[in-house]
Amino acid sequence: MTLDTNALEEQVKSAAERLGEPEFFVQRRLCAVKLMSQLEIPKMQEFSYDGWPIMPADDQVRLATSHPSQQAVTTAHRAIGKDVYLQSAAQGQKVTSQPVPAGVVVETLHQALVKHPSTIERYFMSAIDAARDKLTAYHQAVVNSGSFIEVAAGTAVDKPIEMMEVQDATKADQPFVNHLLVVAHPHSKVSIVQHLASVGEKANSANLMVEIVAEPGSEVHFAVLDETGTNITTYLNRRAKIDKDAHVEWAVGMMNGGNVLGDLDAELVGEGSKADSKLIAVTGGGQHVGLNNRVTNRGPHSTGLINQRGVVLDSSELIFNGIGQIIHGAHGSEAEQQNRLLMMSPQARGDANPILLIDENDVNAGHAASVGQVDAQQLYYLLSRGIPEHLAKRMVIRGFLSAVLTALPNRQLEDEMIAILERKLLNE
Amino acid sequence: MSTLEIKDLHVSVTDEEKHQQREILTGVNLKMATGEVHAIMGPNGTGKSTLSQTIMGNPNYTVISGDILLDGESLLGKPVDERARAGLFLAMQYPSEIQGVTNAEFLRAAMNARRPKDDQISVMDFIKELDKNLRLLDMSDEMTERYLNEGFSGGEKKRNEILQLLMIKPKFAILDEIDSGLDIDALKVVSRGVNFMRGDNFGSLIITHYQRLLNYIVPDVVHVMMGGKIVATGGPDLAKRLEKEGYAGLRDDLGLKIKLTDED
Repeated sequence: MTLDTNALEEQVKSAAERLGEPEFFVQRRLCAVKLMSQLEIPKMQEFSYDGWPIMPADDQVRLATSHPSQQAVTTAHRAIGKDVYLQSAAQGQKVTSQPVPAGVVVETLHQALVKHPSTIERYFMSAIDAARDKLTAYHQAVVNSGSFIEVAAGTAVDKPIEMMEVQDATKADQPFVNHLLVVAHPHSKVSIVQHLASVGEKANSANLMVEIVAEPGSEVHFAVLDETGTNITTYLNRRAKIDKDAHVEWAVGMMNGGNVLGDLDAELVGEGSKADSKLIAVTGGGQHVGLNNRVTNRGPHSTGLINQRGVVLDSSELIFNGIGQIIHGAHGSEAEQQNRLLMMSPQARGDANPILLIDENDVNAGHAASVGQVDAQQLYYLLSRGIPEHLAKRMVIRGFLSAVLTALPNRQLEDEMIAILERKLLNE
Repeated sequence: MSTLEIKDLHVSVTDEEKHQQREILTGVNLKMATGEVHAIMGPNGTGKSTLSQTIMGNPNYTVISGDILLDGESLLGKPVDERARAGLFLAMQYPSEIQGVTNAEFLRAAMNARRPKDDQISVMDFIKELDKNLRLLDMSDEMTERYLNEGFSGGEKKRNEILQLLMIKPKFAILDEIDSGLDIDALKVVSRGVNFMRGDNFGSLIITHYQRLLNYIVPDVVHVMMGGKIVATGGPDLAKRLEKEGYAGLRDDLGLKIKLTDED
């Protein structure tokens, strides 16, 4: 099968115009269709995802603009039990049910394209390059949902902005191509919590991007809890561009059921910028998950921290690549990383690969990696107090994950994460 | 009344460096009942900690022969948590630190593990009991919301072991060098906790190098261990005699041919 660029261009153009997208965006989509035909699917170190349905087959690619089905809406409300907005390219949607604080814009991507085209033109795909590979080009070509958050200079928002995004998988051929763009203007401060879930049992793909543009002196805390179903094959790319003295903190919970290829990236562009990237992944069943967590120090005196913890159950596979790169000129920088895996079953496969690429002398860099089993000493201690083994094991696992769990912006999210963890551990 | 009996117990451990089994306990006999406090004293490297870990069921120790009986029923083959729920408690020399699990949550889990599913301890009862015991041990409320032993000083960890003892109320508590690393004030507090537990339904086996602890927790029976077995048993006076003469003196009096680890 080959990509019929003419047919796809036509479909994309007519669908995008029907939605009323501005001309520049339609053009970008069309450019990206061309790129798709020239670019390859990216390779990932130490992890193979050959044969995954990570995007639709070439002759199936299209800009899907359908409304979520009523069944999906009903199911989502029932399952999740709070305000849910099934994301699609459709108009008239909301991102969050919370009141939006002063100085902050929270809109769907579609609304933002209509209301703030110049801002979107400037920032959309400014951190992630559409021309990087076939998956990024595909994203730009057929992105069909998303959100936009903009925080005005000097505005500080304490309460996290929470958003729930649900993929409608009640029917086949409904790829979810979703983009969250966060722009934090100078000296602003914001905290965002993104929930990702799915309804329906039909096999589908998701191509999820988050771009964070942290302008000088800004501070962005971004937490995401991913609990999409086993039927969803996910490619995710989350990247922050961090300017002078800005600070971005990632807290990522990968609790989903399906296969995932993921890239988490912090670009420390400005002097004195800081990234703290924390991630938990729990894999089970026959799941395969490969995650790159990269921090690149470009600015002098920048600090990049990575802390990843994974629990590998059943016959699943989990690969952590922690990539700390220090570019020549980033003197006085710091890059620290920890990649740790807890193997819970003899059939589980896991690897923690610290990769340090350092091209500057005056830096501080370190790494720790481990792949091991439940700490026998800790387990013994809990057992010696009469705590039954299954509960004792859970406590040790929580201890193992707590460095990341405790970094979550609120207790409720931590509890949700622990509840999902408990569900995943049921077979143990 | 409950009894704990150790019968001709032989125990070995795997030597990590030499990859071979080494016999540490060479025939320990001991019998105690609730209502009694026994002390085991002995020089370094004589198997005191091995004995306590073996009673608890630490998988690093292998029982070659002999038996451990709680109320006449053998504990061998029973997993650690089952032994604990049957009434044993081991105050550890080096308690583990577990981040992410609060002290309070841990204590409740340990207490509830001993109760039927439909009769778990109520929050009010738990807090009342906890407050009482915290006061007894001069511990602050804040300790209970901290993660289990995480960042605790040596003294705080030992107090926390005794707090667990007071909350769990086992039949038999083995205190493995509870006095090590404690200053005199902390030693008094820890002893107060143990003495509070004394009574018809509680027995304790106190393992120590020094007689000092036994001034605060006065034992009913003192055993001396050397070379992997109990070589002498007596009253509190035996501990005082040891303090004066040292272990080498007692060994020579008994005419034993045992090389002491720290002997020149």
